[in-house]
Amino acid sequence: MKKKILVATLSILITAVIGVWFFVFYKPTHFKRDVADEKGISISAPDLVKAFQENETAANTTYLDKSVEIKGEIVEAKPDQSGLTMLTLKSNDAMAGVLCTLKSADPTLKPGQTITVKGICTGFLSDVVLKEAIIVK
Amino acid sequence: MLKHIIIALFLMGAINTTTTAQNLHSTKAAKIRFFSSLAAEDIEATNSQAVSKLDTKTGAINFIVLIKGFVFENELMQKHFNEEYMESTKFPKSEFKGLITNLSAINFSKNGSYPAIVSGSLSIRGISQPVKATGSIIVANGKISVKSIFKIKVVDFGITGSDIGKSIANELEITVTSQYD
Repeated sequence: MKKKILVATLSILITAVIGVWFFVFYKPTHFKRDVADEKGISISAPDLVKAFQENETAANTTYLDKSVEIKGEIVEAKPDQSGLTMLTLKSNDAMAGVLCTLKSADPTLKPGQTITVKGICTGFLSDVVLKEAIIVK
Repeated sequence: MLKHIIIALFLMGAINTTTTAQNLHSTKAAKIRFFSSLAAEDIEATNSQAVSKLDTKTGAINFIVLIKGFVFENELMQKHFNEEYMESTKFPKSEFKGLITNLSAINFSKNGSYPAIVSGSLSIRGISQPVKATGSIIVANGKISVKSIFKIKVVDFGITGSDIGKSIANELEITVTSQYD
């Protein structure tokens, strides 16, 4: 009986220690945010660009650091310095678009294709910028 | 006759614009990395989506980068960087505006690697500070790329906290590599 209690206490203790270690030390530093696991805010590329052009501060509040799922037409697809694919999606303004850097290279993507891409919105320069993006469709 | 003059003027205008455009080089994929090295810990983060423009006629060079676009290996560091040190929701962008001061020593139409000196102003968290950097400009078959490594003091940009000097170095090393389209 005493032995049983000891074993039970010990296993609870070990689980607690591992739990604390995992959630306090391991997970916050090693866990990588992955857009694939997040439900993105759905919006079209022209609407997203328009939102930032009309009121950047308000758009930042809505989209900054959020997962955004965007449907749009590719106007440019090319590799960046690290070889990752960079896509520019068309908006209604020829001078601005949505710039997405994909998590992994995809040389099959070509201008003219309409795709849905999900990534983390980092803000607005000459384009709205998404990082760590993935192709949804 | 008038029609011809108008066409001639229009053509001259068009030629003029093209020559101006040839001086301007830009990219949306400049890479900016910063590195903090201390005995206790190395911290580095990279952003490969900086916008840069280079005017080979005037020597003007600028970079603009989104703070939230810096990617760390360690997710918790990235969170602290954005929330505590950079306040990236309040100050989403950082910008550098500079001039190549030894422009005459660089031949943009001849292949080669040229040492360059750039001086300008760097703005982080809404604070602008003068920055002088050396680097190289590489010309290869009409394509221009730029590389520079320089150091900044975090305190100059009002970045404070008990970790500065302990786990975060007082001086950060910034590496900029930019290939113009």
